[in-house]
Amino acid sequence: MPDYNFPGGITPPDRKERSNQSPLRTATLPISVVLPLKQHSGSAALPVVNIGDTVRVGNLLAQRDGMVSANLHASVSGTVTHISDSTITIEADGQDQWQLLPPLDWRTAANEMLVERLDTCGLTGLGGAGFPTYIKAQVAKHHSIDTLVVNAAECEPYITADDLTLRYYANDVLEGAQLIAKLCGAEQIVVGIEDNKPQAIGALKAALPHYQQPTGITLKVIETRYPSGGERQLIKKLLNRDIPSGGLPGDIGALCHNPGTLLAALYAVRDGKPLVERIVTLTGDAINAPGNYWVRLGTPIKALLAHAGLETKHLHQVIVGGPMMGTPLTTLDAPVTKTTNCLIAATYEELPPAPSETPCIRCGACESVCPVQLLPQQLHWYARAATDDALEKLHLFDCIECDACSFVCPSHIPLVQDYRAAKQRIRLKRIETAKADHAKHRFEFRQARLAREEAEKQARRQARLAQKHQPSSNSPPSGSVTPTADLRSLRIAQTAAKAAVKKAEKVLARAAEQDPHQRHDDLETQLATAQENLKAADARLAEARAAAPKKETP
Amino acid sequence: MSMMRASQLGAAPPTAHLMRWVIVATLPGIGAMTFYFGLGIVSNVLLAALFALAAEALVLKFRRRPLPPALMDSSALLTGVLLGASLPPASPWWLIGTGVIAAVVVAKQLYGGLGHNPFNPAMVGYALLLVSFPTYMTLWSPPQPLIPENLWGKISGTLPGSALDALSGATPLDAFKHKGEAVLASEFWADRPLPEGTLNAWRNVALAWLAGGLLLIGKRIISWHIPVSMLVSMTVLATLFYASAPSHYASPFFHLVTGATLFGAFFIATDPVSAATSRRGKLIFGAGIGVLVMVIRTFGGYPDAVAFAVLLMNLCVPLLDIYTVPRPTGQPKSQQRTGQGESR
Repeated sequence: MPDYNFPGGITPPDRKERSNQSPLRTATLPISVVLPLKQHSGSAALPVVNIGDTVRVGNLLAQRDGMVSANLHASVSGTVTHISDSTITIEADGQDQWQLLPPLDWRTAANEMLVERLDTCGLTGLGGAGFPTYIKAQVAKHHSIDTLVVNAAECEPYITADDLTLRYYANDVLEGAQLIAKLCGAEQIVVGIEDNKPQAIGALKAALPHYQQPTGITLKVIETRYPSGGERQLIKKLLNRDIPSGGLPGDIGALCHNPGTLLAALYAVRDGKPLVERIVTLTGDAINAPGNYWVRLGTPIKALLAHAGLETKHLHQVIVGGPMMGTPLTTLDAPVTKTTNCLIAATYEELPPAPSETPCIRCGACESVCPVQLLPQQLHWYARAATDDALEKLHLFDCIECDACSFVCPSHIPLVQDYRAAKQRIRLKRIETAKADHAKHRFEFRQARLAREEAEKQARRQARLAQKHQPSSNSPPSGSVTPTADLRSLRIAQTAAKAAVKKAEKVLARAAEQDPHQRHDDLETQLATAQENLKAADARLAEARAAAPKKETP
Repeated sequence: MSMMRASQLGAAPPTAHLMRWVIVATLPGIGAMTFYFGLGIVSNVLLAALFALAAEALVLKFRRRPLPPALMDSSALLTGVLLGASLPPASPWWLIGTGVIAAVVVAKQLYGGLGHNPFNPAMVGYALLLVSFPTYMTLWSPPQPLIPENLWGKISGTLPGSALDALSGATPLDAFKHKGEAVLASEFWADRPLPEGTLNAWRNVALAWLAGGLLLIGKRIISWHIPVSMLVSMTVLATLFYASAPSHYASPFFHLVTGATLFGAFFIATDPVSAATSRRGKLIFGAGIGVLVMVIRTFGGYPDAVAFAVLLMNLCVPLLDIYTVPRPTGQPKSQQRTGQGESR
């Protein structure tokens, strides 16, 4: 296959050698863990444990709430000591006792079971946005997927977590890819990796011949150029397909997963292991033992960095993620979450603060590196002037926030920071206008819930009645005509309600994947309404069947 | 620990770096001009640069802005150098001063300073001088020794007008423009209308500017789009004219190496602030300048036209910016102005 290209891009210093020289290690077990209820896109999970409960590793702590959400499991064994609105704290007992689910064989298990397993295990994408994997695994419901792309590009400087994952677990990652390919119905798997990871490439090449069944896997080594690991850029590079603006890879028959997610998916299925640990790159000049570590979720970052030999007096700032797209930490008390792929403990000399901003001279350096072919300097102009119409005309929402423009800007303007603020402002405006709709949808939900409760009550009464009547005699002759007609229309109503639920799920899944960092309350409400309606239809149908048991069995 | 924004992985070379490289790239051109036209060129450039810095500092003071960052970015210095390099040798100090005030104070600072000026500052200054003081602006002396006579008198403005006339000659573009309709091009050239070596001097100066321009493109300080499209459109138009009536029109080569063609293409039209931004916009911008230069030179009242052409195309930039927005990856191929953005 020839190599295709995305426009723009930059080659920043990659500084990966700081963390890719040492072997993969396991961080010491934390004394206590703080597990945020929201480590994923969508709504926070709802706690199902109480303070004082004893838990083992893998026990469910919080249940997903709504469709776009994820389960949360204990990452150490011990006692639940604190439950706040946003976190659950566990004091470890040092025993590290595990509770695993029964193993499944992905080759033979039904797809529904596999999806349910991914859901139960609280799997989310480990690359960035933390999108629930079980939703992505059902993409075949509304898109026909031909290619599964394994995104091993890892184009951000500093980060080497995928690199080390592949060096150590190439076999498992490829098997995980086979598992996901089976779920989404892909005909081929393409692994995309930048050429600055020779050892990972070697490991993949060695493993490839053994994992060509049932789906063929090809390896594509691409040139090192940021941001080739962006979903859109990688798919362009590997498959020469453009994801439409506002669209998803599924729209063009592709699905993208990162190696860590595939590994975790395989462990969830094959070993019954919920997502309780991940590989994290610890790097930066302020730590003595940089490298990659298996880290339990919820491990306090301070303890983790101390374990890696943090020199506090040299520390200037800690960045979660890469230096391009990552975020500086405001406090070291934050824990490692499902999406923490890298922690950079940087010294001042290493990542000095940006020089102060000077006026834009419209030099166009930003435009030439933009991988989406936007006009960053024009966007900058309108973002500062808060001219939202112009921003949307210039396709602000196509910006992937890769920061390449800020990187080359001679005026050192924090361009992407401005774009994020502008996007947020425009989103808030849209939410404001959608508020009336949301109120209406909430009202509809309430109506649906009341109707469902009423229907269920009726059904229970009918069931009791039917039970009472059964021994005495047949159903009264007068009721024999109407229930049949009733039954048919009720069945139709139930099918319609089912379809409505499917549709609401699809709309929500799409919206959530497009905008993983936003809340989609309105769509969740609409989905809940549809689900209530379905339950009500089920109850009415059950009631009618109970009323006319003889006439059933078509 | 700082919380604001992720720090720099490596800061890009600042604006001042770009400006200084452009100044460095003017050196071959200025050197060649000095070689042929004497130290009057150096005095122009130095005076203009000095005045430009002074004017910038003064306005910043009035605007209560900090001086060092704006002065250190070298943009005013560059404007001064470019304006100085486009004036006739040994222009009087008051002429230079007037031009610099128009350029730095009016065209740049009154519009909001660096990055906000819709017109090329140096060319605003030049155009103002050309329409206000045509006699002084057309006093191009023929090639002369390094230290010409009356250098000081000219700069200080104490030389009487009659003496000025005696010292000046016509530029090749001037001479050709005023040859008269009846005179055929062949007859004109056979007449040896210019002092010995004039044409040579202009050509070599133009080549020196070209060298500086190529340096800028090589260092990626400027992109190739504007110079190339401007030169191509000029060449095409000049070739058409020349092919239609070689006896009336000058050759394409003549147009390329005389006047401010190459200087303008690489150093004036490429001013990013007042030029179009998208690649397609830049190509149209450059081509528009080329066409206007040819049209004014051939049919207009001025022998050269780079300044006017650049200013006129500056006027078109907002429009070009609106109509040349590139199609971002993933947007539908047909057309983008359909309100796609609102759909989300």
